[in-house]
Amino acid sequence: MNVILKNIQKSFGHNHVLKGIDLGVENGEVVTILGPSGSGKTTLLRCINMLEYPDSGTITIDGLTVDATRPHKKNTLRLRQKTAMVFQLYNLFSHKTALENITEGPIVVQKIPKKQAIEKGEQLLDLVGLSDKASHYPHQLSGGQQQRVGIARALALNPEVILFDEPTSALDPELVGEVLVVMKKVAREGITMIVVTHEMSFARDIANRVIFMENGVIVEQNSPGEIFTNAKEERTRAFLKRITPEYAYEI
Amino acid sequence: MAFDFPFMVEALFKLMLKIPISLEITFVSLIFGFLIGVAVALIRIYRVKILCRPADFYVSVIRGTPMLLHVYTVYLGIPLMFDALAKYAGWSARSKDIPTIAFIFIALSVNSGAYMSETVRSGILAVQKGEIEAGYSVGMTTMQVLRRIVLPQALVVCLPNLCNSIVSLLHGSALASFIGVSEITNTANMLAGDNWKFFESFVAAAILYWGCAIVIEQIMGYLERKMARRCGAPGVPASSAA
Repeated sequence: MNVILKNIQKSFGHNHVLKGIDLGVENGEVVTILGPSGSGKTTLLRCINMLEYPDSGTITIDGLTVDATRPHKKNTLRLRQKTAMVFQLYNLFSHKTALENITEGPIVVQKIPKKQAIEKGEQLLDLVGLSDKASHYPHQLSGGQQQRVGIARALALNPEVILFDEPTSALDPELVGEVLVVMKKVAREGITMIVVTHEMSFARDIANRVIFMENGVIVEQNSPGEIFTNAKEERTRAFLKRITPEYAYEI
Repeated sequence: MAFDFPFMVEALFKLMLKIPISLEITFVSLIFGFLIGVAVALIRIYRVKILCRPADFYVSVIRGTPMLLHVYTVYLGIPLMFDALAKYAGWSARSKDIPTIAFIFIALSVNSGAYMSETVRSGILAVQKGEIEAGYSVGMTTMQVLRRIVLPQALVVCLPNLCNSIVSLLHGSALASFIGVSEITNTANMLAGDNWKFFESFVAAAILYWGCAIVIEQIMGYLERKMARRCGAPGVPASSAA
């Protein structure tokens, strides 16, 4: 197991968002988390790299176990250094070029020599199909291009796991495809991915496992084939029916 | 009594020699004021224990009292403290050995530090929260996020206000004349002392201040345009800028 979450609890005030989540993710596995809004998917993802501190539970990544009840600053940092995140709103560093966005982590955090980091950065830009945009600033790129830079920035860290927080939700429909293509490429490289998404095609075609969350608990998890055609829980079926209207309207 | 134009021109040239001193006061105070401003802004944003209350107090008191009083208080108060300290520590130096210009440096730095802390604070708060999170997500420490992500962008946001601060420091440097530092205003006063042509003398001084202010505005405008070109519009979410 590469990522192990045990009994993760999180409340915002009186709102109990995560009610004891247990989850294990294998090395190289691609897991998608589905669920209605407010079900705690994003919060769970943000708890994994402690952008949100869980109230209790333990997080283990690549052998490093952190007790979330009393996280030590140093352990938070080490945990974050084993993960990378792709954000819904891209969150690129707006004062840095596409290439600088990618090399920032390796140079500043991992202390990799600048020349080497730039070489790697250029390779990654090539992988996401943006080698001609290296010196562009984020505001000069389209949403889809920014998100692809965001993915390259995550890849540059060589993380144990990449956390995707609704990576296509903010994009114009015609730009979703280019980001999904890159994500599929990443999945094929054997990188562990945990993806919160509403993109059913990604969940269906790429994921090894689909997790359905509602009201702060994992309702059901299974292979995409099983979940989409043969969900055991009524709540899962109802949700899937709502968000895959193409089936609902079939005559 | 008509306006003595030749005397004004004469004064203009004499006062020009004092521009370096006025600018020295401005820029030394700017640098220290800016450092104070950044420190105070960070202390107040992160609510640093022990320090944040005194920081709040400092900003409130300084912004609530006139600049001229800061100059007088520093000029009269620091020598007292210095002499007491020197006596206690057994130094041979006495307050009369401190150059007068040092008092104006301290007074203006302390004054502009309070104003600039608010400028810097607004700049820091304008940085997108998401970018700060992105910094953490790549494994940066709080210090690294501050140095690499927050402050460079905050600086761009506060550049226009910083320009204001520099110009008001330039004008504040005139207060040095009250404690006998021979800068532009003080010298203008002296020049007119012989012939009572204060008006001509002060008009000449005003022209020089205005000229300096224009140059400062031009330089800051250039910097602003240059930074803006690099950063797009800071504070605008990435998605809406696309």
